[in-house]
Amino acid sequence: MPCTMLREEMVAVLYGEADAETVRRVGEHQAACADCRDEMAALRGLRRQLTAWRAPEPARGVRRPRPRPWAALAAAAAIVFALGAGWGLAGAELRYEKGRVSFRLGGGDQEIRTVLDRERARLQEEIAALRAAVAARPSGGDAAFLERVAAMIRESEARQAVLMSASLQEIGERNEAQRRYDLARVSAGLSYLDGRTGEQVARTNELMGYVLQVSQQR
Amino acid sequence: MQPADEELVAAFQGGDVSAFDVLLLRWDRKIQGAIYRIMGSEEESRDLCQETFLKAYRSLRGFKGEARFSSWLYQIALNVCRDRMRRRKGKTLVSLDELDEAGGLPPGPAAPSALELVESRDLARAVAAAVAALPGEQREVIVLKEYQGLTFLEIAEVLGLPTSTVKTRLYRGLGQLREHLERKGIRGTAPVPAPSP
Repeated sequence: MPCTMLREEMVAVLYGEADAETVRRVGEHQAACADCRDEMAALRGLRRQLTAWRAPEPARGVRRPRPRPWAALAAAAAIVFALGAGWGLAGAELRYEKGRVSFRLGGGDQEIRTVLDRERARLQEEIAALRAAVAARPSGGDAAFLERVAAMIRESEARQAVLMSASLQEIGERNEAQRRYDLARVSAGLSYLDGRTGEQVARTNELMGYVLQVSQQR
Repeated sequence: MQPADEELVAAFQGGDVSAFDVLLLRWDRKIQGAIYRIMGSEEESRDLCQETFLKAYRSLRGFKGEARFSSWLYQIALNVCRDRMRRRKGKTLVSLDELDEAGGLPPGPAAPSALELVESRDLARAVAAAVAALPGEQREVIVLKEYQGLTFLEIAEVLGLPTSTVKTRLYRGLGQLREHLERKGIRGTAPVPAPSP
């Protein structure tokens, strides 16, 4: 069998992932082929050389902050969330984009505001029409008509409440998602700073050690 | 017994955010190590590791479990590296200062002599430079196999390639590393005599 046909098998044998049959076939070929035998030995040697390059001990890249900072962050996040909800109700908007936090007063979610405005206008028209109808009735009008008007107003108010609740829930969910993302970013940033500081301290200690050693020798 | 990655993913998707912390602690060192070998810079590997986990955090709810969690995570890490490479036009940075810290003999019972230390650091530098000089697709396979210890099947899953292609890329990558090191006067072994019958 030509050597090139056995390359994949040779790689599998090199990394100990070949089945018994493949190991046997490659072994038989190498017994008869000095080039492949040498190549396999060179590749084993190369693998030993590759271990010389060791990665530096990685600092914990991203981690959950320690309890105290976490508690502080949680408290801060709770305040931010509460403010966010208030701002949301007032039509304000807090955003975190491209590493910046921006706050827009009265901007809000334009879509939700438009729907709410439209709905409010419609309801106001409806109420005005009903009032006009009531006013147009002869005095001492019938109780059934008034009851119907009252029911319509109640229904209208219930619809408005449902709509408002859905909008608030959506704003709340958006704020929650943003909050989690911001917390993860803050956590990552803290961990990074933590890692850097630890490194600096270690380097400083090492340097101080050398200085002490040299001064003692003198 | 430690919960499997997939159990933790399910817990996270069910609303237990702390499950992500366990996954993070389990994988961040490995992922950072892989990124370091691919990018060649310790500081950059930290940044990109953070980016990898932030991306994972944001998209884990949509993870369908079609691949292993670890393969999915490696895929994110490799994409993050590729994006950064594209931005700096494919150059892999190998910091000599970092190599001084990273190279050297693995810890053993006897302290290495000064000569051994120097030789070992030279070898570490040469290996790092040789890996950095590989084409990206070969470097990824070499890193995942040689330094991350993934099986051929796992690498195939991460890269979305047939295992035969993975083996071919690995073979070519090893060949290029060998040539690179030999050009620097570093040889693996002498020719091997035929086994006696």
